[in-house]
Amino acid sequence: MSGVWGVGCYDDGARRVAWPVSTDEMDRDLGAGARRIGALGIGAGDRVLICSMLSEAAQHWPLIVGVMLSGAQLSCADSTAAEATRVAMFLRRLPYDAVLGVGPALLDGLEALGHDPAAVFASVRVVGAHPGASDRLRALGVPVHDVALCGPALAIAPTPGAPAAVDTDEWTLDAHDGRIVVSSLRPRAHPFVRTPTAIRGAVVDGGVVPESPSRG
Amino acid sequence: MTALPPPSARFFDEAVETMPRGALRDHQEALLLELLPHAYEHAPLVRHAWDAAGVHPRDVRDLDDFCALAPFVSKDAIRRYRDGSTDPFGGVLAVPLAELTAVMSTSGTTGDPTLVPEQWGRGRGPAALSRDFWGMGVRPGDHVALVLFTFRGPTYGFVQGMGGIPVLFDFDPAEMERFCEASLEYRPTGLYNFGSALIRAVADACDRRGFDPVDVFSSYRGVVFAGEPLGRRSRELAEAWGIELFEHTGVGDVTYAFECGEHDGLHFWEDTVFVECLTPDGDEPVADGGRGELVATTLFNRVAPFVRFRSDDLVRVTRAPCACGRTHARLWPIGRKSDEVVVDGRSVLPVDVWDAIESVDASAAGLFQVVRSSTTADRLQLRVGYAPQFATRLDAVADEVRDAVVAAVGVDVAVELVPDDALLRLGPPHKIPRVAGA
Repeated sequence: MSGVWGVGCYDDGARRVAWPVSTDEMDRDLGAGARRIGALGIGAGDRVLICSMLSEAAQHWPLIVGVMLSGAQLSCADSTAAEATRVAMFLRRLPYDAVLGVGPALLDGLEALGHDPAAVFASVRVVGAHPGASDRLRALGVPVHDVALCGPALAIAPTPGAPAAVDTDEWTLDAHDGRIVVSSLRPRAHPFVRTPTAIRGAVVDGGVVPESPSRG
Repeated sequence: MTALPPPSARFFDEAVETMPRGALRDHQEALLLELLPHAYEHAPLVRHAWDAAGVHPRDVRDLDDFCALAPFVSKDAIRRYRDGSTDPFGGVLAVPLAELTAVMSTSGTTGDPTLVPEQWGRGRGPAALSRDFWGMGVRPGDHVALVLFTFRGPTYGFVQGMGGIPVLFDFDPAEMERFCEASLEYRPTGLYNFGSALIRAVADACDRRGFDPVDVFSSYRGVVFAGEPLGRRSRELAEAWGIELFEHTGVGDVTYAFECGEHDGLHFWEDTVFVECLTPDGDEPVADGGRGELVATTLFNRVAPFVRFRSDDLVRVTRAPCACGRTHARLWPIGRKSDEVVVDGRSVLPVDVWDAIESVDASAAGLFQVVRSSTTADRLQLRVGYAPQFATRLDAVADEVRDAVVAAVGVDVAVELVPDDALLRLGPPHKIPRVAGA
């Protein structure tokens, strides 16, 4: 019997739900994490900053392992307004090739510190941002890869402007009344069947085109 | 993974945790003498400091030589080196940049966070956290609640490494309702990390949702708090819920220290760090149990070797035997040397006013800052956070806070009140800067 990797959390749009993840599931997810990092063009010699929250570690651990397997260097920060100081410090002191997981609170924090986000991210080749941040960065001229936490499934656009894709071996997305719902395709300790998520938008080519919360 | 001890074992690594002090000192000496040439050769700041002092690692034959000869480094020295060069690591990086696995950062409470270079899988030192959590009663198969941030990296690995199952939360008062639910469902045995703001948030969540906090915490064998001291009010609340609290603190950006079940000081693992307790304004050793500045030297970190790092932390240290059976030394945190303000000739540290501020209902969250323009003042100036429901009676609140602080420290006090949220925004999440410029 598979062990338990940990108990993470997903957001179903109404509340945050505890989510037990088995080691078998995580082992499968790790392979996908490495492929997604590769699809973003991240490899040896690169440096990647992942902005996330600890409660989202079950979704982000595969990405972290993917960074390590790629030979790139990893940095981490919370995706909160208060962590804007840390994010600005990283980007001021070292060159970064990718910053993934920029959220609206982090952008608010950067602006409150007097930073121009376009200047902060100007030299970063891959910027991945969540709904509420992606539109703001695009408006500033930053090419953005959409990132969306569709409940338990992390969606990342492989190129700016493309739908944010989940691991299609594991997850399938649909839209219901403008809200993304997620289903698991393989055995999970906690199965998902058209489970609502906090993401509003449309499903295109199996990926999600998120709607900005400010326009929702 | 190293084989785990049987669940009945009292210690995670008995041979090391109970090593006789003579053998421990020999072990430290061997580790140090191996590390010093590497640090000198590869860490520019170490080399700079040693060359300036006219000392070479070959001059150091034992720990006594080291204490007599080795120059100090400090966080200010690291920042100065960083700002005066193109080296973002401040001269402490001792391996090629390309060989790093990760670049994390310090909490940044006292200024801009500084970079922490890491090389995973090599030279990370012993699984010391596991010793502390095993000592608290956590065993393989247990759930362990982690209420943390991500800037230290994937911290959940240590729980999985000792066969446990991490239950993951953000360090955020808004998470505490979910924390209560998950505690009742998964019945974790350990919690890492708590603080005053979270304890109060748990109380609010229990009131709102009708949870019994005693039940919420009934499975926990230990709850770790860190970042800041717990005031009396928060501690009493936690203890009324049946929580056994374990204090945890950093040791000079080199390692950390944890209370054991005796709750008589915080052990630091001396196979990972060589600690000196020196006079704060000099370099004389302080007698066992006396107040001094903690000076730390890593014994395992070849990536960023801190050698005789003056931590700015005021502590008491003892190497006397502990009733728990471990032989490793203990410390008691007092405060930051640079946080001290001398008011009308009397030394005041933030910890000296903490309980007084928490004793007032409006400022029970213990959010405050000492405001100063220099290290001496005629009057103690405090910026104190208040809970929103007290916004209509701020004059009375200011009087209550002032009276409580005057009674505690006996100096003249001026109080500026601000909403709790205004101070919480100053983060990092587990602590706020306790001293601010005027």
